[in-house]
Amino acid sequence: MSEELISKKELLELMGISYGQLYRWKRKDLIPEEWFVRKSAFTGQETFFPKEKIIERINKIQTMKENLSLDELANMFSPNVTELSLGQDELIKRNIVSEQVLTFYLENEKGGPQFDFSRILEIFILEKLLQSGDINLDEGKMLLQVLKESGSLIKQKDCELIIVRKLGVSSCLLLVNAEAVHFDKGTRMVSRLSLLNCIEEIKAKLW
Amino acid sequence: METKNRGDLTINGYGASNGGQFHRVIINGKGTINSDVECMDFECNGTGFVNGNLYSKNAKVSGKGKFFGKITSNSLKVEGRAMVDGDISARNFRVSGSASINGCVKSEDMKVHGRLTVDKDCEADVFKAECQFTIGGLLNVDLVDVKIYGECHAQEIGGQTIKIKQKSSLFAQLFKPLFQTMLETELIEGDHIELENTAAKVVRGNDVTIGPNCKIGLVEYTETLTQDKKSIIEESRKI
Repeated sequence: MSEELISKKELLELMGISYGQLYRWKRKDLIPEEWFVRKSAFTGQETFFPKEKIIERINKIQTMKENLSLDELANMFSPNVTELSLGQDELIKRNIVSEQVLTFYLENEKGGPQFDFSRILEIFILEKLLQSGDINLDEGKMLLQVLKESGSLIKQKDCELIIVRKLGVSSCLLLVNAEAVHFDKGTRMVSRLSLLNCIEEIKAKLW
Repeated sequence: METKNRGDLTINGYGASNGGQFHRVIINGKGTINSDVECMDFECNGTGFVNGNLYSKNAKVSGKGKFFGKITSNSLKVEGRAMVDGDISARNFRVSGSASINGCVKSEDMKVHGRLTVDKDCEADVFKAECQFTIGGLLNVDLVDVKIYGECHAQEIGGQTIKIKQKSSLFAQLFKPLFQTMLETELIEGDHIELENTAAKVVRGNDVTIGPNCKIGLVEYTETLTQDKKSIIEESRKI
């Protein structure tokens, strides 16, 4: 892992939090166990964290803890997808999807009007990529097919979605717990999305 | 949970059950439950074996209980001796005898009198103890208030307020040369730390009070450090 690490001491100083808070958040599973990296330093063992991720997470906790209880926050950060189902209107109202994309999705998928979480995730990703102009409608279909087929993986693991294009031909990849990918020179990476981030974004919109 | 129509399981004497869902489970004598059991009240007054997981609202072990799975309960009282192979998750966890857990413990309010052994991490909001304890992982608690008897051990202790005191009794003073009343740990991190009879490699905190009979390798503090004359600090740093 080539991520930049930050020691616990530096983190507390930088974010202005106390040991008590950090340990409480850890206890409530707001900070995943895997982020606590133990390394031996000259003063004995020290704990380090992946810098970018932990700072982003603590910022989020600090801004949201006024409105939500710690348990609700924990629910939000957990990658285990919550049980819920929304109707079409609700999705549009909550700004998760636009009407055009919703129609396109329903045309291709031919599912019912009630959306469970995995379908919300699919439509959210579709919306994101179509709206940003990274992909066109045909590529959208391809994307949906990938997401549908590997839907069970997405909920558990740290997945990333990558769309590449070479000589005008595009393809869509789903990486599970991958560290890095490399392509040849002619290939252009059009888009790269972390699904965990998407899930968090959706949850933030649902609250 | 629909529990009104459920039956009770009572074992008086010697018996075994295949487990299942009950309203109350009472074992008086020697009883074995051979799979998962789910109930409102669980009581074990003799010797009980559960070869599965226990899910209950109130659980009480007054004799000897051995659990081969995990225990999930709103409240858990151990008044005799309990051995648990899996994890414990109990909002209220009281021990007035001896409890040894091979997994980790998650609780809100923990009170321990006697002896506690946890192989992995132990998490609680409040941990009050007058006991001898061994924790193989991290003791992660908001408020640690411990009076130690005998030799205690924890890999790491982290939380907001950490108070470690020695329990002084006539017995302890008489047999002082025989019994070492010490808490041994690698690392203590907290905002307010008060220690007695503690051997730690590293202590980090805002306000640190090192009482008598401590042996600390390194203290890092941000605000105050108070040291008793009868303690040894090899190195201290203000950050």
